[in-house]
Amino acid sequence: MSPPARLHWLAWALALPATLLVASFLGLPVLWTFSDTLNQDDGLFGAYATFFGSDFRMAVLWRTLRIAIITTVLSVAIGFPTAWVVARVRGRWKSVLIILAVFPLLTGVVVRSFAWLVILGRNGILNDALIGLGLSEEPLTMLYTEGAVIVAMVYLFVPLMVLTLVGVLEGIPDDLVDAAGSLGAGPAAAFRQVVLPMAVPGLIIGAVLVFTGAFTSYATPQLLGGERQMTMGTFLYQRAMVTFDWTGASTIAAVMTIVTLAVVWAMSRTAARLNPTVA
Amino acid sequence: MSPLSLTSIVRPVRRAPRHLVPTAVVLALAGTGAAQAADTLVVSWWGYNGEKLDANVTQPFQALCDCELVFETGNNADRLNKVIARKGRGVDVIFLTDNFSQTGIEAGVFQPIDRAALTNLDKLYELAQAPQGEYGPAYSVGRAGLVYDSAKVEPLTRWNDLWREDLAGSLSIPGITTTAGPMVVVKAGDRAGVNAYEDPDGAFAALEQLRPNIVKSFRSGSELVNLVSTGEVSAAMAQDFAFGALQEAVPTMTWADLEDGDIATLNTLNIPSGASEVELAHRFIDFMLSTDVQQIQAEQGVDAPVNTEVTLNEEQAARWTYGQEQIDSLQRMDYQRMNAARIDWIDRWNELFGG
Repeated sequence: MSPPARLHWLAWALALPATLLVASFLGLPVLWTFSDTLNQDDGLFGAYATFFGSDFRMAVLWRTLRIAIITTVLSVAIGFPTAWVVARVRGRWKSVLIILAVFPLLTGVVVRSFAWLVILGRNGILNDALIGLGLSEEPLTMLYTEGAVIVAMVYLFVPLMVLTLVGVLEGIPDDLVDAAGSLGAGPAAAFRQVVLPMAVPGLIIGAVLVFTGAFTSYATPQLLGGERQMTMGTFLYQRAMVTFDWTGASTIAAVMTIVTLAVVWAMSRTAARLNPTVA
Repeated sequence: MSPLSLTSIVRPVRRAPRHLVPTAVVLALAGTGAAQAADTLVVSWWGYNGEKLDANVTQPFQALCDCELVFETGNNADRLNKVIARKGRGVDVIFLTDNFSQTGIEAGVFQPIDRAALTNLDKLYELAQAPQGEYGPAYSVGRAGLVYDSAKVEPLTRWNDLWREDLAGSLSIPGITTTAGPMVVVKAGDRAGVNAYEDPDGAFAALEQLRPNIVKSFRSGSELVNLVSTGEVSAAMAQDFAFGALQEAVPTMTWADLEDGDIATLNTLNIPSGASEVELAHRFIDFMLSTDVQQIQAEQGVDAPVNTEVTLNEEQAARWTYGQEQIDSLQRMDYQRMNAARIDWIDRWNELFGG
């Protein structure tokens, strides 16, 4: 066997244990979940027909998708400028700003979601401020609404977006922006035609992470949304842990997986159009 | 040689001094022996009132049995689901409300109790001795009723008062997956003049009329306490175990004196079919039924007593379902019919509140 062929087989051999681990504890359970949804009493795809034929289930799916997309868009809108500022700062202030930006990640999701109960409650900080400033005569209903869930999720995921983007934006040389300016491009044009395309890889990674986390979230919708804002995550929990309907729960999980993959594919196609090198 | 070479990182193995080897062997054997002497009883319960339960139950029982108690905590549904998923293994004693213990019995994950091993059984109210046949006794009788903040809400005197217009945007009800959740459906059926088991359409139509009053449904007693203490709700359907904490949070919280009566709930103790410490589990159950434990639990506001030897003064008795007369006045739920209707009611509830 020639040396290159021997190295090729050695590489496969070294990768085999980790591959088997991933296949056994990730791949097989996912396949098992999918197989549990097929060939039930009401036909091969009966479980999916039940899901997509139910107004309630479709409402939950659309709500979850809507919350995840809005969260992703807002996280990008807030995270990108923040990451740009952090990337452009020099010296020790960069470390300070990074720590401040990602400080929320040091506490758990449940704790961070609980904090919004204190902020958005009828007797919470925000209502007290609005009433104190004369902007409202009575407490506003902010908790247990879709808006409360979105606000909390944006708070959860912006640090993740900032972390993802800072490294990519740091790699964009200042010279390129200056060069664009010297060729007649205004700040907006330089941003659109130079900075944005180069930031696309980081944007896509950040957007995928935020969308996936928001779409599959459980704790935040459960705490801040309740039954009226049921999402796929809370609905899956109910089917599995309360009604013991494992086929229904597996169907929900399968739909979530397919939707997530579809959205990620769409994001990747968009990224490729903005920056062909990504493809 | 580079300071980072392998030989500098891996320190040379030195031969151990001779006297350390037999010492190590003796210590290892002693440690093994010590570990085997202490049996472990795995108890599944809610974890509510944790400090009082530790003082009144955990510490005394561990001293009594020279064993160690290990706890699995969570709500009824989560813990029962785990026992079912493990086919009755992993837990020796499980605390559940009678609604959920009925589900466990129907799932075949509990074993019959050896009543000869329970020396305190005869001291219990008849209601508590064998509420579910050959399975576990009840260690506490509670009630589900209505609570309201008397500083903000006019007194509630009937179950139908839940539908009062002045409660708009100020009410919380138990979630459908909790013990008392299905009771809301039954009461909605009563309001509509139908039997909820036979005419769920009518019951849920009445429940839809309740929607404008509801801020949020709760999944646990602590969540209700949160809702009340933050001012999100001023009235709720609740179980009496949470009333103490509700009053601590909002002193003007009042238990409604309902003309049509509260609903009985029994907290039961069962031994899963795969329990590894069956004898110790029976001793623990007997301990929970003993007069001393029942007395102190009632005095400290943890659980209502089912032991007839427990004596409470007027102030202590006021917060509990206490005495044969009061117990007899409670409404009972048909949990077999309720469990049979459960999934249909959950789906209807989801479509009504979560769609």
